[in-house]
Amino acid sequence: MSAIPIRRPPALDRVGAGRKILAVLGLATGVAIVIFAVLTRRFLTWDNIKAIFSSASLVGIMALGLTFITLVGSLVSLAVAPVAVVCAMAFLSALGLGLVPALAIAMALGAVINAGQGALIGAWNVNAVILTIGAGFLIDGFAQTVHGGKIILPAGGGYATLNSTPLGVPVAVYVMVGLAIAFQLVLKRTVLGRQILLVGSNRRAARAAGLPIGRITTAAFALAGASIGLGGAFLGAFNTGASTYLEGTLTFDAIAAVLVGGTAITGGRGSILRTLGGALAIAAISDVLLLRGLATGAQILFKGVLVVAVVVLTQVRLSGRDT
Amino acid sequence: MSASRRWLRTEYVLPVVAFATVLVAFLIVPGLAGEQLNQGSYFNAFQGFAPLGLVTLAVGLPLIAGEFDVSVLGMQALGGVLAVRAGGHSGLLGVAAAVAGCGLLGLLQGIAIARLRLASLPVTIGTYIALLGLTNVIASNNTLTYGNLSASVWVDQPVLTWFSPRSLITFGLCAVAIVLFGATRLGPELKAMGSDRRAGRVAGVAVERRVAALFTCSAALAALAGALFSYSSASASLDPGLQPLILAVAAAVLGGVSLSGGRGAAWGLLLGALAVALLEELFSIIALSNSTTQIVFGCMLLFVVSADAPDLRTTMTAAATRYRRTDGVELP
Repeated sequence: MSAIPIRRPPALDRVGAGRKILAVLGLATGVAIVIFAVLTRRFLTWDNIKAIFSSASLVGIMALGLTFITLVGSLVSLAVAPVAVVCAMAFLSALGLGLVPALAIAMALGAVINAGQGALIGAWNVNAVILTIGAGFLIDGFAQTVHGGKIILPAGGGYATLNSTPLGVPVAVYVMVGLAIAFQLVLKRTVLGRQILLVGSNRRAARAAGLPIGRITTAAFALAGASIGLGGAFLGAFNTGASTYLEGTLTFDAIAAVLVGGTAITGGRGSILRTLGGALAIAAISDVLLLRGLATGAQILFKGVLVVAVVVLTQVRLSGRDT
Repeated sequence: MSASRRWLRTEYVLPVVAFATVLVAFLIVPGLAGEQLNQGSYFNAFQGFAPLGLVTLAVGLPLIAGEFDVSVLGMQALGGVLAVRAGGHSGLLGVAAAVAGCGLLGLLQGIAIARLRLASLPVTIGTYIALLGLTNVIASNNTLTYGNLSASVWVDQPVLTWFSPRSLITFGLCAVAIVLFGATRLGPELKAMGSDRRAGRVAGVAVERRVAALFTCSAALAALAGALFSYSSASASLDPGLQPLILAVAAAVLGGVSLSGGRGAAWGLLLGALAVALLEELFSIIALSNSTTQIVFGCMLLFVVSADAPDLRTTMTAAATRYRRTDGVELP
């Protein structure tokens, strides 16, 4: 029997050629950025590297957890900043009970708020982006009602511990690195981690295999919520106060770290350590731009371009693997 | 499907019911709260509709085709700053610069998404961040004030008591969208793309071209909204926040658009945007605080998006089946 020649449709060939060009371009740009960074005065100093780690830490802690939401196939949460601020408020108000209980309350609150959203998304496959936008709006409105426009101040002195710098490095950096290792172990070494990856890579297969998709999605959201709550506690501690004004660009900064890390937005592929890398890369590039004297606008612009570039590269690589 | 059944579909019923309910509330509730409606109430509602209607089109049309464009927020901010920068002497020139500049960026984004078959959400999140940065760069990190007073006055002057040039432009563009959507193949094509991209392609829809065009239109509409809004407020803000997107998504969903794509119509988007604009004005008439308004819109969005969830019906059917089984009724 003669083999039927299989001809790739021209459109796919175009995608294939584009893929190669993009890969080369991406690599070249990456090398250029590294050379540019190394040639920047004062970039490769111990103080500067510490500065990069500490500026990455706050967003990094939240982004590490957010990765679970992306991995489980629920895209992203657009309610990171409102949840963080509410947790910051709870943390500061609970400081009267001591530092550890206040931290536990902040993390538990974050986990509960997010688990609620995750339950709806997991059970009914509700559109995660829109649901989290709505939830964020609701939480924000609620927070404004509660604090009535006033800034919530710390009810105790425990927050100073979070701002301390043992061995010259801020506590938040230790927490970020520790959390990254812990979450990576959860993802790769526990049943829950495996289940999250399976639900994210193929929801239908996961359902056919009898996995409790609702519970797994809820757990992924709860993990994210706990880390956002922890990040919120640091946010409140850094600012020694909390109000909705702290939200700023937190949500998109955290999403940017996940995406720049190269975790696939479609879920199922990626890792926590990649997000740590993403957060550090963004901080390093912002740092270079700052050392070169560029203003905030240029830093944001560069961050956005970086996100687009990595997203395009990640997706083109993955779609190339599938065809 | 018979003609009468056709009109009972969600995409037809939801916008009409939503708009009618809000309209009735708008006419009755102020009276109950001891406030009175006047000509200004309608004027204000339509002023709110002016940017909202444009952003709803910008978000809703891609949604029907199964694409989610977060970058409209960035385009709106960039449009506002471009218009203020370029429209110092001529308001028209500023609007043209905003629409052309953002339209071009939208086209590039659309071509990339279409050609490389990218998921639009993460790409547009990236472009949104980049656009905010670009807006900051162009505005030198400061909120810009717009000195061209005549343009500011012109866009907001009352026309026929209830309207202004700003709201009439939005109505006009909605009308264009409705005609294009209803009278040409565009409507069915977008819906085909949204419900099954591959089937649409096989059926002969030029998917790549449509996607590129959609992102171009979406960017241009958002830029126009930003430009006219910055004229009206005589300043251009650097970060509009998430609120415009939230209201536009709420309007699109009330307008019968499905968030998973493939369902909706341009006239539904118009009714949805009008409903949300009337609600906003109603809340301001009865002096609801900002935070309460946020809570109401947040709840509304949560409810609507949950009701639209693809697996909700399956879950309910499964529950009903279980209930019937325990009831002792035999299943076929």
